[in-house]
Amino acid sequence: MKFEKLFDTSISNESIKEWKAQGKKVIGTICCHVPEEIIHAAGMLPIRVRATGCEDNSEAETWMSSLSCSFASSCLQYLIDETYDLDGLIATDGCMMATRIYDNWNYIDPDKKDHYIHISAAPRLVNDLSLDYYKNELKDIKEGIEKFAGVKITDEKLKASVDLYNETRRLIRELYELRMAKNPVISGTDTLKITLAAASMPKEEFNVLLKDFLEDAKNRTPITTNRTRLMVIGSALDNPEYMKVIEDKGGLIVADALCFGSRYLWEPVELDNNDVLGSIAKSYLTRPVCPRMIDLHDELHEVIQNMVEEYKVEGIIYEKLQNCECWGGEGFYLNDLMKKANIPMLTLDREELMSNVGQLEVRTEAFIEMIEEEY
Amino acid sequence: MSVNIISKTCDQVDSIINHISKKRPKDLWMFEVQKAYWNDIRDAHKNGKKVVFFGGPAPVELIYAFDAVPFFLDMIPTRIASDTDTTAIYVDEAEKHVPPTSCALDKVELGVALRGDFGVDPDAFVYCTVPCDSARECHPAIDRILDVPSIRLDIPFRRDRRGYEYLAEQYKDFIKFMEELTGNKMDWDKFAEVAEISNKSNDLMNKIADLRKLKPCPLPGHLLVLNEMMLGMSGHPDMLKFMEKQYEVGKARADKGIGQLKEEKYRVSWLQNIVWANAGLLGWLEKEFGAIVVMDGFGYQNGILFDDINDKEEALVVMAKKAMSSPMIHGASGPAEHFVNIVENIMEDYEVGVSMFIGHVGCKHTFAAAKMVTDMVQDKFDIPTLMLELDSIDMRYKSADEVKASIAEYMESVVGAERITKDKA
Repeated sequence: MKFEKLFDTSISNESIKEWKAQGKKVIGTICCHVPEEIIHAAGMLPIRVRATGCEDNSEAETWMSSLSCSFASSCLQYLIDETYDLDGLIATDGCMMATRIYDNWNYIDPDKKDHYIHISAAPRLVNDLSLDYYKNELKDIKEGIEKFAGVKITDEKLKASVDLYNETRRLIRELYELRMAKNPVISGTDTLKITLAAASMPKEEFNVLLKDFLEDAKNRTPITTNRTRLMVIGSALDNPEYMKVIEDKGGLIVADALCFGSRYLWEPVELDNNDVLGSIAKSYLTRPVCPRMIDLHDELHEVIQNMVEEYKVEGIIYEKLQNCECWGGEGFYLNDLMKKANIPMLTLDREELMSNVGQLEVRTEAFIEMIEEEY
Repeated sequence: MSVNIISKTCDQVDSIINHISKKRPKDLWMFEVQKAYWNDIRDAHKNGKKVVFFGGPAPVELIYAFDAVPFFLDMIPTRIASDTDTTAIYVDEAEKHVPPTSCALDKVELGVALRGDFGVDPDAFVYCTVPCDSARECHPAIDRILDVPSIRLDIPFRRDRRGYEYLAEQYKDFIKFMEELTGNKMDWDKFAEVAEISNKSNDLMNKIADLRKLKPCPLPGHLLVLNEMMLGMSGHPDMLKFMEKQYEVGKARADKGIGQLKEEKYRVSWLQNIVWANAGLLGWLEKEFGAIVVMDGFGYQNGILFDDINDKEEALVVMAKKAMSSPMIHGASGPAEHFVNIVENIMEDYEVGVSMFIGHVGCKHTFAAAKMVTDMVQDKFDIPTLMLELDSIDMRYKSADEVKASIAEYMESVVGAERITKDKA
C-alpha cells in the first residue's frame, strides 16, 4: 500500500529525497505564519521544521540555553547537525523561541550564500492595518523567493497552489471526520503521523496518498478497545510517541488543537481573484492557530469547544512545553472554561525529548479512570 | 486582606525621602522623581484626571497630551521587588494561572490584578505585543480582569520604516480611543508642549550616556535603574527635572575629572536586566571591587528626539521609533542581531573591561541569544563574560548572597580583582 508513506515521520523522508534527487529545492519553514503556497508556487518544496525523534539537543541547548523551550532547541539541533537538507529557511516571529531558532542558526553559520534565509514578521492582532502590514511581509517573501528561484510567481500560479492546498485541507478535515465515529478507524497517533507527513512532502503526492488512505479506511477495522475519547491541545507536538503513550492506556485521541495537527491546514483560503496575496494574508492571520495572537483567544477556545462537541470528547489533555509561555498562559482561560463546560481537563508539562514516559502513563491512567468513574 | 499597592508605595517613597533628607540630602533628587510619579497616580482621580494603565512601551506623550495619567504596570514589580515577601504573594497568586517560568514582572502585575490590589481603578488599559511571550500571556489576562476600555498596540518584530509606519497608524486609533475616553479632542498644542519636555529629557539622557563613557565614569551604576523610568514618564516635567539634575551632577564631576569611585578599577557592562530586587548589587560592586557598571544592555540610553514637533504624521512615526528603541524592547524583543549590535556598541563606546550577563530567568528569549552576545564579546573584545541566572524580581529564586558569591568568584578568579573591603560575600 503506497499510503504507508503517510506514516513515515522521519525528517528526511523518501519523498524529500526524491524531490532533491530531481535537483529541486527544499525550503524549511518555522511556525505557522509562513504561507507554504508562496513557496510552492515557485516550484519549491516547503517543509515545516520540526524535531520529531530528536534524542539529543545538547548542542543546540548551548545556544538556546536550558531556559528555552525544548521543541525550539531540538529544531535548532536538527538544523545544526544537518538532519535537514535545506536550500533555505523562512521563519516568522511565531513566538520568541521560534525567532531564536532562526537567529542562532543564522549566527552559527552566516555563510549560507546559496541559501534563501529570511525572517518575516507576523502581526499579533487582526485588523485592517495588521492585514495590510502582513500582506507586505508576504510580498517580501514572494519577491525573495522569486529572486532565489529565478521564477515569476504569477497570480495564476499562486491560485493553483491555493487550490492544491485547499484540497489538502479538505482531505485532512475528511480524515478527521473519521474520528467522529463511535468507533473510529484511525487513532490519534496515526492521525498525527499523517499530518506530520503533510508538513513534510509535496502536497500533490500527499493528496493522492491521503485519498487512497481514505478509500482504504472504509474497510479498516474500527477501534473498540478504548476506554474514553480524548482531545489533545497545547504546545507544538510533533511526536506521535507521546500520543501513543496516552492511547496505550485506553485514551483514544479523537481530536486535537495542535499546530502540527488540525491547526496546521484546516480553514480554507478563500480566494479573492483581485487580491490573491491579500486572500492568503487574511486566511493565515485570522485562523486561530495558537495563543500567540493576543486577540484570538476566544476564537481559539471556540475551535476547541466545537471540536469537543463534534467529536464527542470526554476529556482534554492540555500539554504545555516547559518554557512555552504562549500555551502555558492559556490555562488562565481554559481552566474556568472547561470547568463551566463540565469537561475534565488534565494539564501536563512536557519536554520535546521523551524523558518522562512513566509519569505520563501514570497521570493519563488516573485521568482516564477519573473520567470513567465520574462521567 | 486587600492591599492598596499604589498608596502603600507612595507611603514607602515618602518614608525613603524622609530618611534620605536626613542622611543624604544631596541625593534627594533621585527620589523626588519617584514621589512625583506615584503621587500622580494615587491622586489622579482626586485631581479630576483619567488613569491609563499600560503594559509595554505605550505612547505616554499622547496620554499626557490628553491630561491623563499613564501608569506603567512594570513600575509595581520593580518597585516592590526588594520586598521579597510582598513580591512572593503576587507571584504565587499568578502562578495559580500561568506557568512559574513566566517573567516575574508579569506575574506580579497579574497577581496584583487577581487580588484587586492596585488601589486605584484605571479608566483604561493599553498594552502592547512586546516585549515577550510572558507579557503577551499576562496582559490580555489583566485586560479581562480589569474590564475597562482597552486597546492593544501591535509592535512589529523588525525595526524598519514599514514597522514604524504600521505602529504610527495604530497611534491614530489610539488617539481616537483617548478622545472617546476623555471626551476631549486631541490637543496638538498640548502634545507639542509634552513633546518638548520629552525631547529635553531624552536629549539629556543621551548626554548623560555620553558622560558615562568618560573615564572615570562620573555617575553611579544605580542611576541606570532609575533612568528606566523614562519609559513611563517621558514628557513629564518631573522626569525632566530628574534628568537635569543628573546631568548637572555628572557634568560637574566630569569637568573636575571626578569619578563615582575614588579609584575606578574596572568598567563593567551589564548585559541583561538590572536586578530590581537588589539594585544595591551595583553599589556593592563599586565598593567591593572598584568596579562600576557604566552601561546596561537593556537600558542602553539612546533617546530618540522629535525632529519637527509640528509635523503630526512624522511625530507619530518618531513615537513609534521611540517605542521600538526603548529599554528592554530594543535589544530583547526583536531580532537577536539588534541585541548583539547594542552590546557591541556598549563594549566599544564605554571602553568596557568586564562583561556580565546577569540574566533574569523570565527573559528566556534573551538567554536564547546569550551565546551569540557573549561569543561576540569574547571574539571581538577578548573578554570572557560572567553568565549568571537569577530572578530580577523574585529573590526566592537565588539569594543576594548567592549572586554576590558568584560575582565575587568571577571577579577574583577570572578578572583577577582584589577586594577593597574586608567583607566577604
